[in-house]
Amino acid sequence: MRIVVIVRQTPDTEAKIKVASSGNTIDPEGIKWIVNPYDEFAIEEAIRIKEKLGGEVVLITMGPARCAEALRTGLAMGADSAVHVKDDSFAFTDPYAISKVLANEIKHIGEFNLILTGKKMIDEETGQIGIHVAEDLGIPHVAIVTKLEINPDQKKATCQKEIEGGQVILDVPLPALITCERGLNEPRYASLPGIMKAKKKPLKEVTLDSIDAGALGLTKEAFGLGGARLKTVAYRIPQIERRLKLIKGTKQDMVKNNEIVEASGELIKLLREDAKVI
Amino acid sequence: MSDEIWVVADLTIDGNVRKVTLEALSEARRKLAGKLGGQLCGVLLGSGVSGLAPELGKYGAEKVYVINNKLLKDYTPEGYAIALSDLIKRHNPAIVITGNTSVGQDFFPRTAARVGAGLTLDAVDLDLTDDKRLKVQRYKYSAKSITTVEFLDNRPMMTTIRPNVFKPEEGSKAGEVVNESVDLKPEHIVTKIVEVKRKQSERPELTEAERIVSGGRGLGSEENFKYIFELADAFGAAAGASRAAVDSGYAPFEMQVGQTGKVVSPVLYVAVAISGSIQHFAGMGSSKVIVAINKDPEAPIFQKCDYGICGDLFEVLPPLTEEVKKLLAQQ
Repeated sequence: MRIVVIVRQTPDTEAKIKVASSGNTIDPEGIKWIVNPYDEFAIEEAIRIKEKLGGEVVLITMGPARCAEALRTGLAMGADSAVHVKDDSFAFTDPYAISKVLANEIKHIGEFNLILTGKKMIDEETGQIGIHVAEDLGIPHVAIVTKLEINPDQKKATCQKEIEGGQVILDVPLPALITCERGLNEPRYASLPGIMKAKKKPLKEVTLDSIDAGALGLTKEAFGLGGARLKTVAYRIPQIERRLKLIKGTKQDMVKNNEIVEASGELIKLLREDAKVI
Repeated sequence: MSDEIWVVADLTIDGNVRKVTLEALSEARRKLAGKLGGQLCGVLLGSGVSGLAPELGKYGAEKVYVINNKLLKDYTPEGYAIALSDLIKRHNPAIVITGNTSVGQDFFPRTAARVGAGLTLDAVDLDLTDDKRLKVQRYKYSAKSITTVEFLDNRPMMTTIRPNVFKPEEGSKAGEVVNESVDLKPEHIVTKIVEVKRKQSERPELTEAERIVSGGRGLGSEENFKYIFELADAFGAAAGASRAAVDSGYAPFEMQVGQTGKVVSPVLYVAVAISGSIQHFAGMGSSKVIVAINKDPEAPIFQKCDYGICGDLFEVLPPLTEEVKKLLAQQ
């Protein structure tokens, strides 16, 4: 099995997001960068499949220099090689252009049986890139998968996914692209020998100059803030005014005994008459 | 090139029109149709779905494109993407919208790729620029930031919308039905559905629920989550959980609310024994009203909620559940 994993580097889930002075990007100051948590499930699943069936795991990412660290993390977990499509402008590239470039670079990786990626990137809040790549490569996809079984003899994958009101199990012929949901596996931590080995594993860089934007139906401006299809014009931090009404007991002591019925009665009254939501 | 705005209907497992479809029609009518000057149209994809057209008309679709095809009976991303992209190429709409559901998130990216369109997911505000390009607001970094995104001039402009944000409102027009066909062959459909298991739960879906009751690590066990379910049922609410509760094995991951779980925006969010971490707020921070029940008076959630009760959940929840039941029985 040759498995490609599309990886993204994102801010840590605990990171506090601030808007940059330009107003149309975030301020990267002080942010700790991690492997997109859903892509970790994808890397883990790829390694497990390799351990079971043999083969090779190739990671690919598109982003600025800092993203090499995410690739090294994946290599330390057990992936075999990585491709870094690298340019500082890629920090701002819109999903359309990222998909076009990644699909094209995956073609350069050569034959593969499976592509895995996270169900969404937690920074951009989108799961569209993997699916777009699948369409461009002419292969089927199954998104938001919680259980995956590969049948190499029949060249198919059996996937389980949650939908509103139920669960679906479906078969998809390989090669296919699968996007991974929490629940699929428990990603391993990179071991110390793994981290040492990762330093020697091949990490290929692809630069902006080597991308033939025109052949992908894009202009070079598409890679920066200009966008190929979308342009982010403003960021703001949502400020929702909260009422901060603390019912008896709060901030002093816990409510006890007969106060409890009183407090719950007061809460219901507030929900009804103050907030008017019940 | 037409100025039509399309809303592609999202159907439930039982084949009914999802509320988010009506929300999309209503908001497109309020915010886009007048300014753009084009017709608001519904799109129905499926098998035997013509009967749903009047409902789309009731919410403002002046025209409803219907594709009935046996190969669309069960949802597959390839089938839906082929059907919608063919229809788009035939009529060149300006804007195409659907709900950000498991189906919408699945076939819209594939369709957008096929027609070369820009796509945003999970929009919470729809508008047009002065030169009539679609402009949406959407969250990034979960609920930590909101961005305004403008489409460059590439038609069509496609977006999914977040359920529960826009108000559904009936319009006055009745939709004219336009029957369309698609050249879909069995070999186009390569994903095969093996089994569909329905959930036993009568509770609403987390992402669509107007009310949610969530529990944290303080519940202490899977069994104790019954306190959460009982209060949720009294409210007619969905039940959620914090990441800490899920990691401790007290609740399944499908219940997780937060940056690496479900992102929700109910009218009422009751957080029980949840401290209120950044990553939890990233998933529920846009809720209209937040109630916190926690025994730690120093819990950060008390700084970010509308109403708070400091108390032991095992003592507070049973009488609160009874009070809610009593009240809602009266209504």
